[in-house]
Amino acid sequence: MIILERKTEKLNKYKRITNEFFSANDFLPTSLLSLYQWQEIKKQGIKKNFQLAIEINSDESSESIKDSLKKFSMIQLNFKTFKDGRPFTLVKELRIEHKFKGEIRASGHILPDQYVFLLRCGFDTVEIKKEDKEIWIELLNLDNGLYYQP
Amino acid sequence: MYKYSNIDKKIIADRTKQFQNQVERRLNGKLTEEEFKPLRLMNGLYLQLHAYMLRVAIPYGELSSTQLRKLAFIADKFDRGYGHFTTRQNIQFNWPKLPEVPEILDQLSEVEMHAIQTSGNCIRNISSDHLAGLTAEEVEDPRPWCEIIRKWSTFHPEFSFLPRKFKIAVTGCLEDRTALLVHDIGLRLIKKNNVIGFEVFVGGGQGRTPHIAKMIRSFLSKKDLLNYLEAILTTYNQLGRRDNIYKARIKILVNELGVQKFKSLVEKNFVKFSNEKLKLDKNTINDIFNFFKLPKLKYSSNKLPISKNKKFNEWKQQNTLPHKISGYSIVLISLKPPGKPPGDADSRQMQELANISDDFSFGEIRVTHEQNLVLPHVNNTQIYQLWQQLDILKLATPNIGLISDTICCPGMDYCALATARSIPISQKIGNNFKKYFDQKSIGDIKIKISGCINACGHHHVGNIGILGLDRNGEEFYQITLGGSAKEDAAIGQIIGPSFSEKKLISAIRRIIKTYRKNKKNASEDFLSVFRRIGIEAFKKDLYDNTRKKN
Repeated sequence: MIILERKTEKLNKYKRITNEFFSANDFLPTSLLSLYQWQEIKKQGIKKNFQLAIEINSDESSESIKDSLKKFSMIQLNFKTFKDGRPFTLVKELRIEHKFKGEIRASGHILPDQYVFLLRCGFDTVEIKKEDKEIWIELLNLDNGLYYQP
Repeated sequence: MYKYSNIDKKIIADRTKQFQNQVERRLNGKLTEEEFKPLRLMNGLYLQLHAYMLRVAIPYGELSSTQLRKLAFIADKFDRGYGHFTTRQNIQFNWPKLPEVPEILDQLSEVEMHAIQTSGNCIRNISSDHLAGLTAEEVEDPRPWCEIIRKWSTFHPEFSFLPRKFKIAVTGCLEDRTALLVHDIGLRLIKKNNVIGFEVFVGGGQGRTPHIAKMIRSFLSKKDLLNYLEAILTTYNQLGRRDNIYKARIKILVNELGVQKFKSLVEKNFVKFSNEKLKLDKNTINDIFNFFKLPKLKYSSNKLPISKNKKFNEWKQQNTLPHKISGYSIVLISLKPPGKPPGDADSRQMQELANISDDFSFGEIRVTHEQNLVLPHVNNTQIYQLWQQLDILKLATPNIGLISDTICCPGMDYCALATARSIPISQKIGNNFKKYFDQKSIGDIKIKISGCINACGHHHVGNIGILGLDRNGEEFYQITLGGSAKEDAAIGQIIGPSFSEKKLISAIRRIIKTYRKNKKNASEDFLSVFRRIGIEAFKKDLYDNTRKKN
């Protein structure tokens, strides 16, 4: 998998923590947590003062992270299916309601045909298969910046 | 009529290019059918029983003669010589071939048409009153508002992957000709304290769980329209069910939460997310309104001509309405001649009608949600001549609003979802109530026929609704009575056990007989009688009689 920021491939500095280790002490600034892991360490009390990354699936409630957004440098919204459009609204909530300034990434089952929509809604990056890079860029190139919405 | 700006043209052209790319990726296997499906649906392309079906958008039901001519050309070149006008004022072609679809879209874009968002889980074509701008009692023309909403909803980045499809209708009259209250959102222009704004209804719909829309705002100011629509859509996208396709429409959410709770969530989102840039200022609104001015019509005292021709007189009585400019009439063209599938028009009819509209109605044609057409501005002095031309084309059936003016879905003749045929039922009704005099003596009545529970034929809101079912491989038809799609919207009640195709027509005749028997005076229509005497009287007559016969 690669990370694409508009047309540029970007280094993925975040690493998933496998489920066996989740004590509040095991995390690094580059750790990518699941929602479950985050809820567990929240219970234990967060000792480290650096920021983390978190992944939320499109069918999970994001309520539990909304009061701790300052703890995250990156939020990854993972589409269980490209047809589940909830992350398109969730990203609006994060950006406008909660003023989240960090990176927001789309991952999971997403289509290159959704790229412009993702960017316009407030996503910064996408996680895609390396072999799909060309088509994602090709479809972004079709975008001429003319839209009916502000 | 609205004319495309350069931006509109560019957006449509790019979309065609993008779809070309998607078709190529599908044909070379880079897109699975599952992935291609929502993409093709967003371009109006369905996979039906026998072939692909392309649904072309006719925004708020308004067509120019040039556009109608192009539809005739497409019917001839890419289809089997006909098209089917739908209950959402669109047109469907039933036999296009996948590799040719991008070319069809190209042809459409030449006349400022497209198939965008005529299907899929997005905001669909905005529908409206086919008499918009033509009647004196209208508060304001709804078409400019439809156009404003059309733009805002087209390729909306946030609302293109909703839990389910989303339909919006706008009307400018209290008398409703749009089926407003069975839409996901219904907007009615009203005047309060001399200011025009909108009443907002939400959560109407048909399908397997029909609901009448509920009011969530008694007055919405014009400038806030788009922000308020965004607030409704935000709430729906956040909370609409995605676990069960049959429970995914907004009507289920509104019903499960309760309208008060839903309203309060919408109001919160309205405050949270309202965007200055979406506020509509007077200039923007005026610019759009300028496209919808009436053509240059001259007031006159010319009345409709008096003739000895009985056929003409019947047609004149049934298929014309007074225009708000005296001296002109609105002409309704029935697409329900006896024995034909409702809503179908062949390429010759479309071609000739385009010419007729140039000669008689300033090149304007409208599509009604009841699957008929309208010539909006006909000079009364030309009415007889017009009728003669329509009659040659078999477009002068005098049955608007009568029993043979049925709404009907394509049913099992075309649709992969259908459980029974619906077109033959409509044809039988047409053939059984052929004479104008008989139909006129029954009076205003709406029969609506669906070939399955998805209710595309609006059976729930028919005064008489007919639902086709499959019972062990045999087609059966359930009858509902008392539905209405108008301002007094109601869901019909099931009268009792269903009927085989063979017995259906005599059951309908029996229902009509009960109505006639109970009529207080000549003008009391079917729905009024039903509301006065209730379903039991009909039920008793229908089933006692059927039992005796058996």
